[in-house]
Amino acid sequence: MKESFILLDEIDAHNLWQKKVTLKRNEYLKVAGSIDTNLYFIVSGSLRIFVINELEEHTIRFGYKNNLIASLDSFISEQASNYYIQAIKETTLKVIEKPTLKILINSSSALQENWNSALEQIIFQQLEREQDILVSSPLQRYQRVLRRSPQLFQEIPNKHIASYLRMSPETLSRLKKS
Amino acid sequence: MDKNKLIAALIDVTKQNLNSTEELLKMSLETLNKKENSKSWSALECISHLNIYGTFYLPEIENAISKAAISTINNFKSGVLGGYFVKLITPTKKLSKMKTLDKFNPIGSTIDKKVLITFKEQQIKMLALLTKASQVNLTKVKTAVSISKFINMRLGDTLQFVIYHNQRHLLQANKAIK
Repeated sequence: MKESFILLDEIDAHNLWQKKVTLKRNEYLKVAGSIDTNLYFIVSGSLRIFVINELEEHTIRFGYKNNLIASLDSFISEQASNYYIQAIKETTLKVIEKPTLKILINSSSALQENWNSALEQIIFQQLEREQDILVSSPLQRYQRVLRRSPQLFQEIPNKHIASYLRMSPETLSRLKKS
Repeated sequence: MDKNKLIAALIDVTKQNLNSTEELLKMSLETLNKKENSKSWSALECISHLNIYGTFYLPEIENAISKAAISTINNFKSGVLGGYFVKLITPTKKLSKMKTLDKFNPIGSTIDKKVLITFKEQQIKMLALLTKASQVNLTKVKTAVSISKFINMRLGDTLQFVIYHNQRHLLQANKAIK
């Protein structure tokens, strides 16, 4: 989620962050099977969201400094989800719980609109991501993501980008050189 | 005991166990093999001991769940023996010394960091099993135990036993590297 929206300013202004969490490198914020309905703001560091299937990790999303991140499936359904969220490097997060966030959003139509547009952005990004996964050429997958999120290649280690692009780290470094 | 609360608590302890494992993976082999005296266990010996248990219990738990019917009963009652074992193994503030049987004693086995990877994979497997376990009757479904062919344990007790046993020896491993 790219954030420059008034909802965040309001959370700051009313001091609604409920706690601060610091994660060490490789520490898990969430594991499969748990419920997590919090919304997190990344003060520093970076995280990745992934699922594990037959012991193989499949990367779904990254979060960088100044982004919001959530286990969105669990956030929406308030049920357990299969997502893992892990810190890629030392990371500090600010936390707001869903009930508090809801009260704030429902307090004004401007904030409601703002929240809806954030959700729309996420849907749009997910549609792009769906196409990424469907594109069969590794080169095209790489080019699509490079065009869309150049920041990714500065912030995130190669092995995680390779997993996100569904290719081996060797293939990714070959594509980056060519 | 509320089944969903128990499963959520066990998932949380398993998350902490995974986080301890990630910290151990950052240590040098020398640190991981350090021991106080010839009879005490190094960090890797602690993990190796846990892997022996995992190798027995994970397939046993998986097998018991796969044969069980889906159940909506949300109550779990510890067995007399199972409850006793769980209480015995759950780490308290001051870790008491316990004896292990020869077949579980890892001392002298040659070990490297691979035991940590094996242990990590076992925790990922355990998280998947915990999600499945939330759909069955934890009181009625039984598993075998590693120490006797003649007794069995309620699934809810087995899950607690294995996970708190992991927690106990990870605490011991954290002491061994100091």
